[in-house]
Amino acid sequence: MNMKKLITILAISLLALAGCAPSTGSGSGHIVMADAGWDSIRLHNHVVGFIAENAFDLTWSEMTGSTPITYEAFKNGEIDVYTEFWTENVAPYRGDVESGVILELGVNFNDNYQGIYVPRYVIEGDAARGIEPMAPNLRTVKDLLDYPDLFVDEEEPSKGRIYGGIPGWAVDEILYKKFMAYGFDDTFIYFRPGSDAALSAAIISAYDRGEPIAAYYWEPTWLMAQYDLVLLEDEPFDADRFHEGLTEFGAADVTVAARKGFDTEFPEFTEFLSNYSTSSAMTSAALLHMQVSGDDYLNSAKWFLREYDEYLDQWLTAEQAEAVRQALN
Amino acid sequence: MNWLYQFPFKLNIDTAAIDDAVRSFAVNNEAILQFMRRGLNGLLSSIHSTLDFIPWWILVIVVFVLGFLQTKKIKTGIVYAVMLFSIGAVGLWPLMLLTLSIVIASVAISLLLGFPIGVLISMNDRASSIVRPILDTMQTMPVFVYLIPAVLLFGLGRVPAVMATTIYAIVPIVRLTNLGIRQVNEEVVEAAKSFGSTRIQAMVKVQIPQAFATIMAGLNQTLMMAMAMVVTASMIGASGLGMEVLISVNRVEVGRGLVSGTAVVILAILLDRLSQGWVKDKEEEA
Repeated sequence: MNMKKLITILAISLLALAGCAPSTGSGSGHIVMADAGWDSIRLHNHVVGFIAENAFDLTWSEMTGSTPITYEAFKNGEIDVYTEFWTENVAPYRGDVESGVILELGVNFNDNYQGIYVPRYVIEGDAARGIEPMAPNLRTVKDLLDYPDLFVDEEEPSKGRIYGGIPGWAVDEILYKKFMAYGFDDTFIYFRPGSDAALSAAIISAYDRGEPIAAYYWEPTWLMAQYDLVLLEDEPFDADRFHEGLTEFGAADVTVAARKGFDTEFPEFTEFLSNYSTSSAMTSAALLHMQVSGDDYLNSAKWFLREYDEYLDQWLTAEQAEAVRQALN
Repeated sequence: MNWLYQFPFKLNIDTAAIDDAVRSFAVNNEAILQFMRRGLNGLLSSIHSTLDFIPWWILVIVVFVLGFLQTKKIKTGIVYAVMLFSIGAVGLWPLMLLTLSIVIASVAISLLLGFPIGVLISMNDRASSIVRPILDTMQTMPVFVYLIPAVLLFGLGRVPAVMATTIYAIVPIVRLTNLGIRQVNEEVVEAAKSFGSTRIQAMVKVQIPQAFATIMAGLNQTLMMAMAMVVTASMIGASGLGMEVLISVNRVEVGRGLVSGTAVVILAILLDRLSQGWVKDKEEEA
């Protein structure tokens, strides 16, 4: 009796599974893109994906994971394309490109900013919220040395706290060297925020309360588009001294990358990806649009393509661009 | 026929309103939150400075002696001592103390809150039916769902880490206290009552001692759960062994990850064995 029941249940679940089997797409191929967990990469995935569907007749999907996990999957060929690769943040990237494990196709954007930010009200005050300027003379990173009491660390109230880089990102190491080189060690704690979500939450939380905070952050991000923070100045960029933490951050190369062998399998699409180049400002605008309008990624990607229509001609052949425009309307 | 396969309607929950509620709560209750932050910070600092004050070799000796007393075998004591020594030998001693202070604080809070709750729900079926789904939620709600609100309310660092760890680790002590007390033979309780015990007396003098082994098993599980949260706690900025694991994993440094991961395992095994042994001793006494 029980055996019979079990067999019936098994049979039904098998049938159900068979019914669920994914129908293979009618397109000429399937692209897997990395979703390493932040907004702008998802946006670029949807822009590239929309073009893949409509100009190249390809289907696409995202594979989600943290940066190191997706990077391993990328090297193993389980992920085909990275639309937004922060090369500074993955230590083995340069070596892997040189040895041909992965392909760098082009630069998505390299006009971005990163560094130590403070909310604007810390320097200038905010009359509307009744916040007095707390550090009117704060201009540079080194100026922070004068304000350990302002950016106080609750865990160690005798010292200040600077929120540093996400553990494991290359910037974390560079910021820490800067922290030591500038002599922050005596009066400040270098605080590693653990994850980017946690860092964002810390900034938002301080901003809501009108409290001072000095934290590493980067652009383009919706957070920077929505909140008014000031990037503190630093010594002029110099490629050699930068790695010792002695200068400001140069713009990081954010590239488009593909797995080994992708270019021979999808030559036309690779051609497009090599041309795919946007800017930090465009990405920020789209992220802000998404945050304000509440649109999902797909609709924001469509907004992006309509807004920056002229770029289609740079990225695509006339025929392909026409196909994308038709799909947009 | 479409509704057969597709859900016929969709409720639009105003999630933005929830966001705003949490954030304005954080702004409006700053005084209370700050009080809690300071209190927890004080607790953590005192645990950590106590641990930090003890020279490393005393801790190694203590572990050796405890291991020996427990099993009456010199070998076990030596193995435990070598394990602890090896954490220091690879340079992770200060990080281990940070982790240990978070674990101790979380377990202490779990015990202080969880044990009375467990006793309460063992005495009252109605309370039990209310508390149990809450416990289920605490155990299964994905951690990040409450980690980020915890950060909004308590900032980054070890305070929200202790909160998150406590939410996760308090469950077994509540459950097993409840279970242990409920499993005490009813006739024993009846006997106590027939000799004139009040309900409280029966609880304190008969039921809780009878349930001691189960309660201690719960405490041991609580300890293990707290250790399991070490890496997650680092994602909101709690420094310690978990942060070391996080850094190495994020940098795809497998070796470094393995070393710091092994240190977490060693610490967990030592805490587990030593606390279990202590329970057995108590049982034999009882």
